[in-house]
Amino acid sequence: MCFKHLPVDFDEQGNAFLKEGVNDPYSYKSVSLDEEQDKLKELLAKNGYIKDVDYDPVTRVAGALAFHSVVDLKDRKVLSSNSIATLFRGYEIILKGRDPKDAAYISSRACGVCGGVHSTCAALAMEMALGIKPPPLGIVMRNILLAIEYLYDHPLHLFLLAGPDYSEQLVGETNPEILEKAKSTSAPHKDVHGYSTIGDIMKDLNPLTGKLYLEALEMTRVAREAYVIIGGKYPHPQSVVAGGLSVTIDITALNEIYNRLVQFFDYGQKVAGIWDDVFDFFLDHDPNYENCGKRPATMVDTGVWDHPDHYDATYENCNEWGKARWATPGVLVDGELVTTNLRDLNLGLEEFVEHSYYESWHENGQRFDTDKMGGPLSPNHPWNKETKPKPGKQSWRDRYSWDTSPTWDRMPMEAGAYSRLYNTALANEMPSRRYIEPTGHSLKINIPERNLPAAELEWHIPDTWNTFERNRARAYCIPYSAMVAMDNWHLAQELLRQGETSVSTEFEIPKKGTQTGVGFWGAGRGFLTHHLVIDDGAIGNYQIITPSTLNAAPRTPWGDPGPYEEAVLNTPVMEQFSSDEDYQGIDILRTIRSFDPCMPCTTHIMAESSDHVVTREVTTCACGVE
Amino acid sequence: MVLNKFQGNVLIGTIGYQNLRNHSVGSVLQPRIEALEWPDRVTVDEMNWGPIAITQKFQTMDEPYDRVVMVCALERPQREIGDITCYRWQGKLPSEKQIQACVGDAVTGVTSVENLLIIGEYFKIWPDEVFILDVEPGPEKSGPHLTPEVETVIPEIMDAIKILSLEKDPEIATFNYEFMDVLIPDDGK
Repeated sequence: MCFKHLPVDFDEQGNAFLKEGVNDPYSYKSVSLDEEQDKLKELLAKNGYIKDVDYDPVTRVAGALAFHSVVDLKDRKVLSSNSIATLFRGYEIILKGRDPKDAAYISSRACGVCGGVHSTCAALAMEMALGIKPPPLGIVMRNILLAIEYLYDHPLHLFLLAGPDYSEQLVGETNPEILEKAKSTSAPHKDVHGYSTIGDIMKDLNPLTGKLYLEALEMTRVAREAYVIIGGKYPHPQSVVAGGLSVTIDITALNEIYNRLVQFFDYGQKVAGIWDDVFDFFLDHDPNYENCGKRPATMVDTGVWDHPDHYDATYENCNEWGKARWATPGVLVDGELVTTNLRDLNLGLEEFVEHSYYESWHENGQRFDTDKMGGPLSPNHPWNKETKPKPGKQSWRDRYSWDTSPTWDRMPMEAGAYSRLYNTALANEMPSRRYIEPTGHSLKINIPERNLPAAELEWHIPDTWNTFERNRARAYCIPYSAMVAMDNWHLAQELLRQGETSVSTEFEIPKKGTQTGVGFWGAGRGFLTHHLVIDDGAIGNYQIITPSTLNAAPRTPWGDPGPYEEAVLNTPVMEQFSSDEDYQGIDILRTIRSFDPCMPCTTHIMAESSDHVVTREVTTCACGVE
Repeated sequence: MVLNKFQGNVLIGTIGYQNLRNHSVGSVLQPRIEALEWPDRVTVDEMNWGPIAITQKFQTMDEPYDRVVMVCALERPQREIGDITCYRWQGKLPSEKQIQACVGDAVTGVTSVENLLIIGEYFKIWPDEVFILDVEPGPEKSGPHLTPEVETVIPEIMDAIKILSLEKDPEIATFNYEFMDVLIPDDGK
């Protein structure tokens, strides 16, 4: 049984049911945040200070996330943190009433980096709602397309956005003693990446001028070139449709893709070696770095990359085709894998808006009491949820975000590319093992020879989940994604040899009746679901949960902090500074950035005992939270 | 007359999000600009597909452009809706921290003319002549259509685009500026 908080049990056949004798099974009691805020106010007052800070977005061009922390610089700890999504995006409202086929194109615009994953997720939701199974070549080419999207996304994050946090330039400003030590510390993976010392790596992580920064820019180009061969254009592919793809795939297209894909063989080895060396160096230098961004490995992932022999688009078989994916779906609670069933994952999902600028949608009753198989659904489940924006005053005691608070089994859940690595390694269920081999405690990735010799990389499940491990795992996701794409490339070639050229299945949308579907797919940043309800041929309800909906969540109704908030609360101040004015907040920034937040994000860090407000941008992909 | 014509390859690029009324003047006018009669050496394209991608494309062009004309909307102080400003990009760059912030925005899908200019300048893709024509859009509003104030000046905009694209040393590019208006002051932080 995977649920501990929801009153849901399973019979011997694995069918979910509501436990008997529980009145109002999905009710809950909201906890007031007044006491916590009063304590904080008192603490601030004792230090002679009551701050009044403007929390409006201060990003330069487009702001969607602000982050507020109160930091005790004397004791070097964070006292309070709030994650604030400052913009309402409203794709759910835009999509309502439209032709379901529009969803793949419109929802793609939710993100300026990972549009393809939204298109695909929308297509999958329709495939489930209408019973459309794409042909095998359509499935494997879709896998390749989205693996390539990650090959654009991960280098971008690791070197253009997060990389500068570990560069000579920044480390020299915030921790000169570390930089000094780095210059004389040997880099263990020199044979792979060519750098003799950690200091040499840090120098090439410098923004704009560092060789690693510029190389990553170039690799994003290689990935984009491969991407448009299938998607037509980037970041919003034109060819992703329900039922497969609308593009002709031939051996020339596969060769063009191959020529780009193989460039990630060496690059994947190099990136894993670089980040292993940099992060091991930090953790060796001061074990307290292990506490930066620390939180339990409580994560959720939908899995990604469908196997053509298993994927049939049905909800009824989603547990089976989910487990056949190249990334295994699942829910981790404090490092323990509690389920790999997509259906369990779906049944446990809820969204709450007690601390968000939305109205409740419950006044009209609950539309779906159960899923298609009779499993119980919460009134807060995405198929029942409606998006009703209600702008209002920002208050840490009440509502402070346009993000909702999604939970699984009433727990805030973290999401990331690393979650798919973690789940797949731990579950050890993934059937396609040409290049990828989970072991139950690690994930082995076999990289063929190119300029570098062939190698077996092995990512190990870490003892502690923190800022550094998030990025380390993301680095391993580059070779992981490349080899999944390569495995699917072989399948595509085999299909073409057999004369299989069809990439899409025709379908019609019924003009009457109600159909429901859910797309389970992974964004570059992890977990992604699109819940779809079709009423009489048009979209009746559409709900998107992105990775940042999960990670940037405000408090739950019962007061649990969202993942960003919790990770920042646990972060010690490791930075060296001579006065409050010198404090840059690098440890908090590294922590927020380690989630690869789906928004141009601005952080405000208020230093206790001073009126110094640190404002730094944590820009990454411009993906909407609602 | 031919003596006064610019003879090089020209790119006319429109920049700006769609469906933001006057703020979308570039994308609204793009098909109309394309429909004008242009010499073969003039290309009309939208330039919203990312400063990094544009940089990488420019870096690989066999025949680089000799002039780029950008058409966009920018809110500037002390202008009326529909006012048009033309000027030549001087190529001054902000601090490296500011440029890195521009790259951060650019790779994450933000559409912005100043990001494009700064990133292009940093990576040295721009030809000697880059002209910008910007229209005062007024406050940002949603919708696919331009307001009457901007609709009225479309002929003037089209004439200005022609001059900026085809004239040698176009005299209408007179505006003086330090940085683009929506770029925050470069305080070196």
